Amino acid sequence: MADAKETLIPAEENSFRLEAYLARGGYEAARKTLLSMQPGQVMDEVKKANLRGRGGAGFPAGSKWAFVPKADDQPKYLCVNADEGEPGTFKDRAIMTRNPHLLLEGIVLTCYAVGIHTAVIYVRGEYESIARRLEQAIGEAGLKGFLGADVFGTGFGLEVYVHRGAGAYICGEETALLESVEGKRGWPRLRPPFPASIGLFRAPTVINNVETIANVPLIFRYGAEAFVAQGLPRDGGTRVFGVSGAVKKPGLYELPVGTSLRKIIYDWAGGPAEGQGIKAIVPGGLSAPFLTPDEIDVPMDYESLAHIKSMLGSAAVIVIGDRTPIIDVLRIVARFYAHESCGQCTPCRVGTTWISKTADRIAAGGGVPGDLDLIRRLAEGMKGKTLCPMGDAAAFPVLSMVGKFGRELEETISRRAE
Amino acid sequence: MVTIQIDGQTLQVPPGTTVLKAAEKIGVLIPRYCYHPAFEPEGSCRMCLVEIEDLPKLDLACSTVVREGMTVWTSTPKVLQARQEVLGFFLADHPLDCPICDKAGECFLQIYYDQHGRYASRFLETKEKKKKKVPIGKDLLLDRERCILCTRCVRFLCRVTGTGELGVFERGVKAEIGIDEGAPVANNYSGNLVDICPVGAITDRDFRFKTRVWFLENRRSICPRCSRGCNIVIQSICGYPLPGNERRVYRIVPAENPDVNGYWMCDLGRSGYHDIEDNRLDAIAVKGEGAAAGQPLSWESALKGLVSDVRAAAAFGRPPRLGLILSSFLTNEELEASRRLFVESLGAKHVFFADPAPGKADGLLLTADRAPNRRGAQMAGFEPKPPDLVGLSESVDLLLVFGPHILDHVPVEEAARAFGKIRRTYLLAAHRSALDEVAEVVLPTAVPAEKQGSFTNTNGLKQHFERALKPSRGRRAEGAILAGLAAELNVKLD
Repeated sequence: MADAKETLIPAEENSFRLEAYLARGGYEAARKTLLSMQPGQVMDEVKKANLRGRGGAGFPAGSKWAFVPKADDQPKYLCVNADEGEPGTFKDRAIMTRNPHLLLEGIVLTCYAVGIHTAVIYVRGEYESIARRLEQAIGEAGLKGFLGADVFGTGFGLEVYVHRGAGAYICGEETALLESVEGKRGWPRLRPPFPASIGLFRAPTVINNVETIANVPLIFRYGAEAFVAQGLPRDGGTRVFGVSGAVKKPGLYELPVGTSLRKIIYDWAGGPAEGQGIKAIVPGGLSAPFLTPDEIDVPMDYESLAHIKSMLGSAAVIVIGDRTPIIDVLRIVARFYAHESCGQCTPCRVGTTWISKTADRIAAGGGVPGDLDLIRRLAEGMKGKTLCPMGDAAAFPVLSMVGKFGRELEETISRRAE
Repeated sequence: MVTIQIDGQTLQVPPGTTVLKAAEKIGVLIPRYCYHPAFEPEGSCRMCLVEIEDLPKLDLACSTVVREGMTVWTSTPKVLQARQEVLGFFLADHPLDCPICDKAGECFLQIYYDQHGRYASRFLETKEKKKKKVPIGKDLLLDRERCILCTRCVRFLCRVTGTGELGVFERGVKAEIGIDEGAPVANNYSGNLVDICPVGAITDRDFRFKTRVWFLENRRSICPRCSRGCNIVIQSICGYPLPGNERRVYRIVPAENPDVNGYWMCDLGRSGYHDIEDNRLDAIAVKGEGAAAGQPLSWESALKGLVSDVRAAAAFGRPPRLGLILSSFLTNEELEASRRLFVESLGAKHVFFADPAPGKADGLLLTADRAPNRRGAQMAGFEPKPPDLVGLSESVDLLLVFGPHILDHVPVEEAARAFGKIRRTYLLAAHRSALDEVAEVVLPTAVPAEKQGSFTNTNGLKQHFERALKPSRGRRAEGAILAGLAAELNVKLD
């Protein structure tokens, strides 16, 4: 086994090639595990590692898998969510571009643990070259017997398919993703039933984010204890923080779960861009409530961020410089959700567009007293009242902007109304 | 049974019941748009949110299944506010063209705004412009500005007819109902889309701009256009705002009956209101009389003539020289009266039926048999088959024909030749036909909507119905004619 510790996004050139992955010790963890462990033990190990979902909601992966019925008499599916549509998020594309076999090895382990023989990687439409790279990797792994009818000679069968989306944000929502794979319009499903009991093609289905699955081989390579030790006791491992916006060194930084936001921005991303201060920070993808600069010392893990009423989400950090008027941020955020609302349920369909139109009006100088209260009421009308989490996703950033930057917005309204 | 509490009332419901249905049991009607009892819960309109104790968020009444000990509140401030918010979202882009909308008066945007809204609108932006008159097939027009995207129409066409003509196109606030190019709604159940549309988005050209729904009188009846016996509501106006005492039927809609038609009816039955309004016989006609003299003939003299003709035909003893061509459009009661009077009392032997030629069953509700009561005729002991007119014309002196459907079996010339050989022929019919010129006496009768009685449907289910409409002046129900005849001949019918 190679000495250097495997990372989700290796720096070496051609890191995506099978030979390179094998040279780094790739597929050894899966081989050993499949030859020596029972599926139940595999699941227990993942539970022990406290691997939480990297897609946004942070649900513990092991528990999610345990919801799937054990019986082997019906088809079950794994859907790997590679739709990566959350604004600010660009980690999965890097993992898939530079380490596709790590993802495939994770798929092998996950499917073995849950008793799944068919996996689908749902890749967002824009990631055309990534889809090709994944297909190539699947072909290579199949030739080696890492996938296919007889994985590692154990008799365990596993087919992996790449399915490309068509560019809708909502298809990253797990049930809309299932509809899309089934060839239907990407509309979220009413829950219950949850995908673990009725999912893809009405069969029990596990849906996990790319980064979540890519972490699974590391648990087996280095052990669950090491995985936990790397992060926090209840939130193990590392996160790939994607920093963008008004910083000197935007990019992806794989750091332990719980690293402070200040450290990420100042120590790794080089601090705010030249000549600017920080006005606001999005800590976990656009759907996360905005933070103010005085909240910058928060440790970046699910619970710490929930404690200050924000969320870790996809761990995409967007830094907004102090030269940026908040009304412009509000306008752009609102326009994104209005554009991406699927149109199925009322509050999101109408609420997102209404907020967007109101923000546009304010930005154009047509603000009137009461506009902020109206926006707050509209966002409250969506929060927790929509069919899928998108209503919350659209409401959270808006509510936090109106709440935390209300004075600036009020000034905008009164100044432009003069 | 599961014990739950709704708004402080304790009740027991079977496991698997939804909160919405449980609430209905105690008379609590939770507002809803996308939910329709014929379909699985959709959960998209968000109108039925209720508060369930121990849950952090409001939850859907339409899809949440009761749990033992569950406590539900349907009218807390939180719930009322959520309802107002959802209504506010629906009405933000709504064109508010109620004054020219056919749904006004039975529109659930109006009804729920009245019950749960009553807020002042805060919408200051430009409304979405959409197409307001999109033909989507048959006589249906779609108004996309009024549409609230509940998708009941889409789901009806997927799950009931299986034809799937409508779908949702575009996304977000631009999302709209539509058809694929060149593939309009073309099934026999399209009218149901108008009924299940909770707003004025889908309307029928046949009803558009004809009247306002609050003038309509709703009376139940049974559809006579096939042997299914679909339960219907006949919607009519008699008098104001029509001039004088004018009566007009505007629409027929299905009445819910889980044993027969569920919530639906077919387009053929729906267009049956034309049978009530159009092409009706409205005056007694006797060949060579009346019309020439310019005098309408009275029912008294016509019935007097009928009585003496029947007496004359029976005067030769038994069997009388009397022929009957009955119809499966007659009610069980009318058929029974015919049997007692003509068969039992007078001993008539020449009893036949003339019904419409069979059509095509569509596998859903519409049956091949296009008369409502053939099963009833069979169960009353009749053999409903058409006569050999040539043979019949030689055996009788008096022929009573109920309805014009003998023409579905023989050409009018053949009927005319046969009728010509019979001393006296009566046609008792509701609608004009070529037979009017052939029969010697024509008596205008009532249609089923103007009668009370019962039909026995194709499955043997006997369904009673009340009179939905008063027969207009000059027409009489066959039952009344038979009763008058029986009284004159001293025959007891019951």
